[in-house]
Amino acid sequence: MSLFGFHYRLERKAIGLTLAIILVASIGGLVEIAPLFTIHQTVEDAPDMRVYTPLELAGRNIYIREGCYACHSQMIRTLRDEVDRYGPYSLAVESKYDHPMLWGSKRTGPDLARIGEKYSDQWHVAHMNNPRDVVPVSVMPAYGWLLTTELRTDDLGLHLKAMRRVGVPYTDDMIANAAVDAYAQSNPDSPLADGVTKRYGKATTLRAFDGQPGRLTEMDAMVAYLQVLGRLTDAATKSTARAEAGQ
Amino acid sequence: MIAQLTLTERQHAIMISAAVAVLGALMILVGQDDAMSIHGVLVFVASAIMIFRIGGSYYAPLPSDDRLAHYYDDPSKVGIVLSMIWVVVGLAVGDWVAWQLVNPDLTFGPGWSSFGRLRPVHTTSVIFGFGGNALIATSFYVLQRTSRARLPDQVSPWFVLYGYNLFCLLAVTGYLMGVTQSKEYAEPEWYNDFWLVVVWVTYFVIYLRTLARRKEPHIYVSNWYYMAFILVVAILHIVNNLAVPISLGHTKSYSAFSGVQDAMTQWWYGHNAVAFFLTAGFLGMMYYFLPMRAGRPIYSYRMSIISFWGITFFYMWAGSHHLHYTALPQWVQTLGMTFSLMLLIPSWASAGNVLLTLNGAWDKVRDDATLRFMMVAGVFYGLTTFEGSFMAIRTVNSLSHYTDWTVGHVHAGALGWVAMITFGSIYASVPWLWKRQQMYSPKLVEAHFWLALAGTVIYVFAMWNSGIVQGLMWRTYTESGTLAYSFVDTLVAMHPYYIARAVGGLLFLIGGCIGAYNIWKTIRISGAAAEQASDVPQPAVVGAGTLQPAE
Amino acid sequence: MIEHAFLVGFSKSFGLFYLIALSIAVVIYAMKPSNKKQFDEAAQSIFRDEAGPWR
Ligand code: HEM
Ligand code: HEM
Repeated sequence: MSLFGFHYRLERKAIGLTLAIILVASIGGLVEIAPLFTIHQTVEDAPDMRVYTPLELAGRNIYIREGCYACHSQMIRTLRDEVDRYGPYSLAVESKYDHPMLWGSKRTGPDLARIGEKYSDQWHVAHMNNPRDVVPVSVMPAYGWLLTTELRTDDLGLHLKAMRRVGVPYTDDMIANAAVDAYAQSNPDSPLADGVTKRYGKATTLRAFDGQPGRLTEMDAMVAYLQVLGRLTDAATKSTARAEAGQ
Repeated sequence: MIAQLTLTERQHAIMISAAVAVLGALMILVGQDDAMSIHGVLVFVASAIMIFRIGGSYYAPLPSDDRLAHYYDDPSKVGIVLSMIWVVVGLAVGDWVAWQLVNPDLTFGPGWSSFGRLRPVHTTSVIFGFGGNALIATSFYVLQRTSRARLPDQVSPWFVLYGYNLFCLLAVTGYLMGVTQSKEYAEPEWYNDFWLVVVWVTYFVIYLRTLARRKEPHIYVSNWYYMAFILVVAILHIVNNLAVPISLGHTKSYSAFSGVQDAMTQWWYGHNAVAFFLTAGFLGMMYYFLPMRAGRPIYSYRMSIISFWGITFFYMWAGSHHLHYTALPQWVQTLGMTFSLMLLIPSWASAGNVLLTLNGAWDKVRDDATLRFMMVAGVFYGLTTFEGSFMAIRTVNSLSHYTDWTVGHVHAGALGWVAMITFGSIYASVPWLWKRQQMYSPKLVEAHFWLALAGTVIYVFAMWNSGIVQGLMWRTYTESGTLAYSFVDTLVAMHPYYIARAVGGLLFLIGGCIGAYNIWKTIRISGAAAEQASDVPQPAVVGAGTLQPAE
Repeated sequence: MIEHAFLVGFSKSFGLFYLIALSIAVVIYAMKPSNKKQFDEAAQSIFRDEAGPWR
C-alpha cells in the first residue's frame, strides 16, 4: 500500500521520468545563458555611465506601472532603417542598470530608446495629457491624471536600496537623500538642487519637467525619465563615430 | 461537494484556509500604505469564504466508502466551470483592447482601463485563467483514468485549484492597480510568485502520488506531457522571477537580472512558457481526448514519444529568436534560430499524429463539431509552428519583429490551437463528467465551432496583412535615400485591419459565450433520464466507435 | 574565473553533440522492437473500461 512497499518499482519509473525531464530541459537553458554572465569580459564598459536619479527611477516605475512597454520598444536593432529612424543602435551596456530591461516586443508606437531630449518638456506634457492634441491619429491612451497626481517619494530610499542589492552602484548618500533629490531635480531654483548635481553629475537635467515648479507630480517623474532615455552614457554615439571613422 | 470530504479532510481544509487567512491579515498589516493591503483583503476574504463554506457543512453526514470506487472528479468539474468563466472575461477584455486600438478613447478615462494595464489582464486571463484551469481540470481527469487510480486525497486537489485561481485573481487585479513586474507572461509580483510556487509544488506532488498508485506499468504519454508542463513551468517561473522586493510591505520588486542577461532570461522564460504551458500541456490533453472522442487509438504512439523528447529539449534553446538583431551576442541568436528550425520536426510529428489518427474517420469529423474542434486545432498547431520556425529565421524576423505579424502568429496559436483543443476537450468531457448522454445542444456546439473558426481566420489574416504592411513601410526608402514613411503613416495604413481584427475577435467572443451557456445548461438539466452508469468516458456519440489497432 | 570565450565555445559545440546524442537515444528507445508491444498496449489502454479506479 505504501509508497515504498509493493509499488516501489513503479514509483521509480515516475521519478526517473521526472528527473529525465528536468535534466533534458534545463541543460539547454543553462549552457546557453551562462556565458552571458561573463560577457563583461568582452563587452567594452561605459565609464561615463550614470545611474538613474530617484526622480527618473520613479518615472521608470510609472512607465512600468502603466504598461508602456506593451507598445513601445527600447531596443534599436542593427538594421539600417532603424538606425536612420531612431538613432545609433542600442548597445548592451546601455541597459546594464535596467532591472528589469524594457526592450519590449511590439511597436504599436515608436521606439523610445533614444527619445531623450528629442522633444521639449512641454511637448511631452501635452502628449501625455492627450496624445491626439499633438499627434491627431495617435492610438495612445491619454494619461491626464499624471499631471494631477502627487509623486510618492517617501519610499524612494527603499527603491534605491533594493536596486543596490541587485547590483546598481547607489551610494549611501544617494539612498539617504533620495526623496529630497527627487524634489530638487524638478525644482532647479531650490537650494537643494546642488545636491543632485553633486551626487549624479553635472550632466543631470534639472527642470520643472511638468511646467509647475514647486509641485512634484507623477508627470515630473515620467518626463524626467523620458528625457534621459538614451542619455545615461554616450557610448553608442561614440562607437558609431568610431565605426564611421574606421571605414 | 464538501459532503464528499471525510472529517479529517474537512479539518485540514479549514486549517489550510485559516493559515491563508492569517497570511492575508499579515499582508493587510505590513502593506498598509501600499496596494499590498488591498491584495491582503482579497486573500483574507477568499479564505474566509472557504472557511464559512466548509464550516457550514462541517456536520454534514460523512461520505460512505462508496466514494473510493469512483474517480474523484469534483475538482475537474469546478475547474472546467472556472475555465469557462475566465475565457469569457479574457476574450471580452481582449476584444475591448482590440477596439481601443481602433478608437483610443474607449478607455473612458480612468487609469485602470488604459491599454497598457488591460493588455496583461487579457493575456493572463486567457493563458493562465482559461488555459491553466482547463489544464488542471483535464490533467486530474486524465491522470486518474490512465492510471486507474483515484486521486490520493480530497484536499490537495482543491488547494491546487483554488490556490491557482487566487494567483490569477491577484495577478489581474494587480495589473489594474498598476502592480506588475513588466515581464511579459510573468507580470505578477514577488509575493504572488511565491504563492504560485507553493501551489505548483503541491500540484506535482499529487501527480507523483497518483502515479505511484497506478495499475498500468506504463505511464500513458499524456501524463508525460502534463508532467513536463508542470515541471518546466516551475523551473522557468522560479528563475525568471528572481527579484528583490523593496520591503516586505511593498508590492514593488526589482529583478535580479538586468539588461542583456535579463532579456535572455525573460525570453528563455517567455518562449518556453509558450512551449510548456501553451504547447506541452495541451498536447497532453490532445493525446487523451482526441483518441477517446474519435474512438480510435493514437495513430503512432512512437511518434508521440519522439516528439515529446524533441519538444522538451529543442524548445529550451530557442528563446533567443525573440532577440534577433538586438544587443544580444550574435552567436546566441544563431543558436536560437537553428534550434527553432529543428523544432519543426517534433511539432509536425504531433500535428501529423492528429490528422493521421482521424484518417479513416472523416465521417465522424464531418458530423461531430467536437471532433472538428480537435481536428482544426491540429491543423492550426501545424500552421503556427511552421510560421514560428519561419519567423525565427533572422532575415524574416527583421521584418516581422515588433509588428502585428507576431500578434497574428500568437493568435493563430492561441485561438487556433490552444482554444480549439480546449473547447474540443471540454465539450467531450462535460457529458462524461456530469454523466449526460450529450451536450445540452449539439447545434450550439456547431454554432460555436463556426464562429470560432471564422473569428480565428479573420483575426489572423487581418494581422498578417497589418504586420507585413507595417514592416514593409518601416523599411521603405525614397529614391533620394531617405525613409519614405513616418511612423504615423503606418498607423493610418493599419486602421482597417484593426477594425477587422476586432470584428473577428467579437465573433470568437460570441462563440465563447455560447459555449459557456451550453455547458451551463448541460450541467443544470436534470440528468435523471440521461445518466450513464460508468465512470469511464463513452467513445464518441456519433458512429459507434470501432477500435482499430494503430499503424 | 571562467573564461567567456571558453563558455561560448562550449555552448556552440556542446549544443550540437547534445542534440545528436539525445536524438539517437530517443529514436532507439522509440523504435526498439522490444518496446513495440508495450507502446501498442499503451495506445489501447485508455479504452479499457473498468468502470472505476482499482484503488
Ligand atoms: C476574442 C479573441 C481575442 C482578441 C480580440 C484578442 C486581442 C488581443 C489584442 C488586441 C492584443 C494586443 C496586441 C497588441 O499589443 O498589439 C492581444 C495580445 C495577446 N493575446 Fe489576445 N485576443 C484574443 C484571444 C486570445 C486568446 C484565446 C489567447 C490565448 C490563449 C490570447 C493570447 C494573447 C497573447 C499571448 C497576447 C500577447 C501577444 C504578444 O505579446 O505579442 N488572445 N490579444
Ligand atoms: C515550432 C514552434 C514555434 C516557433 C519556432 C515559434 C517562434 C516564434 C517567433 C520567432 C516569434 C517572434 C518573436 C519576436 O519576433 O518577437 C514568436 C512569438 C510568439 N509565439 Fe511562437 N513559435 C512557435 C510556436 C508557437 C505556438 C504553438 C504558440 C502557441 C500559442 C506560440 C506563441 C507565441 C507567442 C505568445 C509569441 C509572442 C511573444 C511576445 O512577443 O510576447 N508560438 N514565436
